[in-house]
Order: sequence, then structure tokens, then C-alpha cells
Amino acid sequence: MDPSRRKLYSYVAVVALYLLVFGWWLFFFAHQSEFLLRRVADRGVTVSPEVAEALRTATDENMRMFVFEGAFLGLLLLGSVLLVVRSLQKELSVHRQERNFLSAVTHEFKSPIASAKLYVESLQLGRAEGEKRERYLKHAHQDLDRLQKMVESLLASARMTTTGPDVQVRPLDLVAETREIAAELAHDPQTATAALEVSAQGALLARADSAALRTILRNLVSNAVKYAGPAPRVAIELRRDGRHAVLRVRDWGPGLKGADPRRIFDAFVRGGDENVRTRPGVGLGLYLVSELARAQGGEARALTQPEGGGFAIEVALPAVEKEHAK
Amino acid sequence: MSAEKLVVVEDEEHLAEVISDNLELEGYAVEVVTDGLAALARLRREPAPALVLLDVMLPGMDGFTICDTLRKEGRNMPILFLTARSAADDRVRGLELGGDDFLGKPFDLRELMLRVRAILKRSTWYAGPSPAGDMLTLGNARVNFKSFVANIDGREIQLSEKETMILRCLAEKPGEVIARTEILDRVWGYDAFPTERTIDNFIVRLRRLLEPDPQSPRYIHTVRGTGYRLTP
Repeated sequence: MDPSRRKLYSYVAVVALYLLVFGWWLFFFAHQSEFLLRRVADRGVTVSPEVAEALRTATDENMRMFVFEGAFLGLLLLGSVLLVVRSLQKELSVHRQERNFLSAVTHEFKSPIASAKLYVESLQLGRAEGEKRERYLKHAHQDLDRLQKMVESLLASARMTTTGPDVQVRPLDLVAETREIAAELAHDPQTATAALEVSAQGALLARADSAALRTILRNLVSNAVKYAGPAPRVAIELRRDGRHAVLRVRDWGPGLKGADPRRIFDAFVRGGDENVRTRPGVGLGLYLVSELARAQGGEARALTQPEGGGFAIEVALPAVEKEHAK
Repeated sequence: MSAEKLVVVEDEEHLAEVISDNLELEGYAVEVVTDGLAALARLRREPAPALVLLDVMLPGMDGFTICDTLRKEGRNMPILFLTARSAADDRVRGLELGGDDFLGKPFDLRELMLRVRAILKRSTWYAGPSPAGDMLTLGNARVNFKSFVANIDGREIQLSEKETMILRCLAEKPGEVIARTEILDRVWGYDAFPTERTIDNFIVRLRRLLEPDPQSPRYIHTVRGTGYRLTP
């Protein structure tokens, strides 16, 4: 059994035991005067009705005091147990997350290694000739690309938590940069299946880092492609919103489907059970997006119900007026 | 003779491709399924494949649940787990649920082929005629090697494939000592996984089911340091 679950059960057992003991004491005190009178009568001593009544009254007073003190102690105990239970529940969820992360990373690393290894071994054993040989080489290359991206993501995340993101912000033409990155993504095997549209409401300048912007867009678009179904449509929309230049990446897929929108920017968070995983990844993409947005003086937010359905993520970066661009 | 049919359940497109290509080169007919629920539906249909190569982490339904469901429904086709999750706990769980063997990713192509051949050889041995016949009687218990059902004092108990195979292995040479290594070889295959200790666990369960007093067994005897002997 999970150690956290074991702890949880033992606390529940302690509360149950307390309630049992408290209940017994309550019963005992409530009947204390009757017990005493019966014992005295057993010894052949007659107690006058006045004394018996006084005894009952004294017992009731004791009882009230006991109920008050017992209830107070009980509330204290209940409060502390509730606190413990809440922290254990949190611990359980962290354990689950860690297990899920470990499963996801194991799968994400071992699967491409396994297929690349089998492709190479098949080629070495002369089991693939001609067109098949070319296909095997191409697929092994794609497997290595996938591994490389995974390693880069993990390293970026490790850097983020140790030294913080390395960004050099400067005024950037957000529209031109976005169009350039979108053109690259249209040729990337991971995102090439998407019908990618870029639209902008006029010229837009932002204080941003070019490499960080590239990582943000790459992660957002590949995330949208992963979740938006077989023929994904992904739109990148750029607009000015007050002091911010806003970049929105949206898809028309099924949306978050029960996932907690407050947690999607946390590192290594992936919805559901990894044993029945439906999408590749380890849960770092949106974490990197959020951290990079923050490092550039902006923020990332999820729009769980954008107009027209699907799912969208907005990244707001500090806008720059044209006259301050130089 | 038509090629033996294998089903590969694997959601990673590249792995499914390279595994099925190589199995086809070995002369097997291969069907690939990429989703857990679709795999369960396929494996419930006839004809049953000669072997299933089953991934654990799958969309829809995980491989352990698929294996468990199939075994509970009495479907006994051999299952070889191929998975990235190859920790000891996962291996034990896979075998306890009725898997025949377990191969952790990444694996060698030649090892995969060897294991596939070994499992098919084992199931061919089991499907063939046995000198022990189809039934084994031990006191009030009758075990049917074909249906994996034990009838004990009028109660029907479903045995696992491995339990039945171990019993048949012992029943084929009644009164003789069968070494643990021979049981491993006949029932699990060429390699030393699971350990000899695993056989002991199976024997404990068989004794609990079939012996009037499991503490002092009348039919399944331990020969210290060697193996087991069946005296019907």
C-alpha cells in the first residue's frame, strides 16, 4: 500500500478510536449517578430522595462540563486531523504526479530509443533494402529528433529552476517574427500536419526575446496539434490589448476535457493516467511557455472556452510604441 | 501450411512498423492494432492469434487490463508484454495477470525473435497430444488440461494457464522428479525469468487447491534442491 495512503488510514483509525472512547465516556458519565446509587444500595445503605436528587444534579453538572471539554478537545483533534488529511491528500497527489511523470518520461525516452535501435539493427542484419532502407533511415532520424527535443525540454526546465530563464529582451516586430516562425513550423514534421493560420490587427511591437518567442510558439503550436484531432486547424492571432501585445494560439479540438486549468502551466502536469496515455509528451511545454512569458515581463493564460469552441492560450508581452522602438 | 497469425498491439507507429516488418520476414502473418480498446475487441474475435505482443501504456485501455480481461474470459492465447515499464514490479504484475513473458524496451531484435519462437514452441507443446491425456485425477480433484478447469469436490475452479501447464508438465512423468529448470523451460521458455522461486509460488497455490492437507502434501512433493514429483 502507498505509504501516504497508509498514513491517511491510520489517522482515520485514530479519529474513529477517539470517537469510540469519547462515546463510552459520555455514556458512563451520563449514567454515573445511577451507577453510584446502585452500588450504595447494593451495600445495604439507603439514600434519601434528596441526596439522590442532589447526586443526579451534581452528575448532570459534571456531564455538561465534560461534554463542553470533550467537545472542545474533539474539535481540536478533528481540526488537526483535517489538516493532516489535507496535507496527506496533497502528498498523495504529488506522488501520483511523480509516478505519472516517471511513466511519461520512461515512455517518451524508451520508445524512440527502442524503435531507432530496431531500425538500425534491421539495417545491420540486412533486413531492409531499397525503399524500405530509406524509410528506416528516415524514421530512425525522426526518433533521434524526438529524443533530442525531449532532452532539450528537460534541460531547459532544469535551467529554469536553477538559474532562471536566460532572456535578452529588445523591441521586436512581433508580426514579422511570428510569421517567420510559423513558416518554419509548417515544415517541421511535428507540426506540419496542421493548417496553420497567422492573423494580426496591424503592426505590433513587443519587448521580447527572439529565441524565447520561438520556444513559446513552437510549444504552443505543437501542443495544439497534439490535442486538436486528426486534421488540426491552428490559428495564431496577434492583437494589441492596452499596454500588452497579445499572442493567442488556438485550436478547435475538444479543449481541456476536465483537466484543471489552474495547473496546466505547472511542470510535469499531464491529465489522466499514463497507462492509458493518448498523447506524447512529459508535461513541460506549457510550463516553459509560462516561465518564458514571465521572464519577458508578460504572462500566459488559458482560455478554456474561447468563442467558437476549442481551446486557446494567450501570451501577453509588454507592448512597445513605435516611436520607442529604436 | 498457413503462416501463424500474430497480433502486435503497439501505439508507437515506428515501433509497430519495425516489429511487424521483422516478424513478417520470419514468416508470420502480422496484424497491428494501435489502441487498447480496439485490441481487446480484436482479441475477443475468432480466430485467436497464435501470440499477442502487447504494449502496456496504450490509449483507451492499458495492456495489463487487456490481459487481465482476456484471462478472466478464459481466453488463453499466449501474451508477450513489450513495454518501456520494465521494473521488477511491472514484470511481476504482468506475469501474475497471465502474461507469458515480458520484454523491456529497448530490446534486441534477435532477442525478440527468440522469445517469440520460444513462446510459440511452448504453446505448440501444450496444444499437442500429451502422454498424460487431457485429464488428471488427484483424489477428489479432476483437472481438465484443455479447459483449465479443476473440479474439486463438485466445485469448478478456473486455473491459470501457467498452473495447468505446470501440472501437465508434472503429470507427463508421474512418480519422476521434474527439475525446476525443466519446468521453467517447458512452461516459461528458454530464459531464467521468472526465477525458480516463482515456480514455488505456483506450487503453493496448486497445493492449496488440490491437496487435502497442503502442509503435508499427498500428490505434489518437493524434492529438496531439485524440483517436484507428482504421485497421482
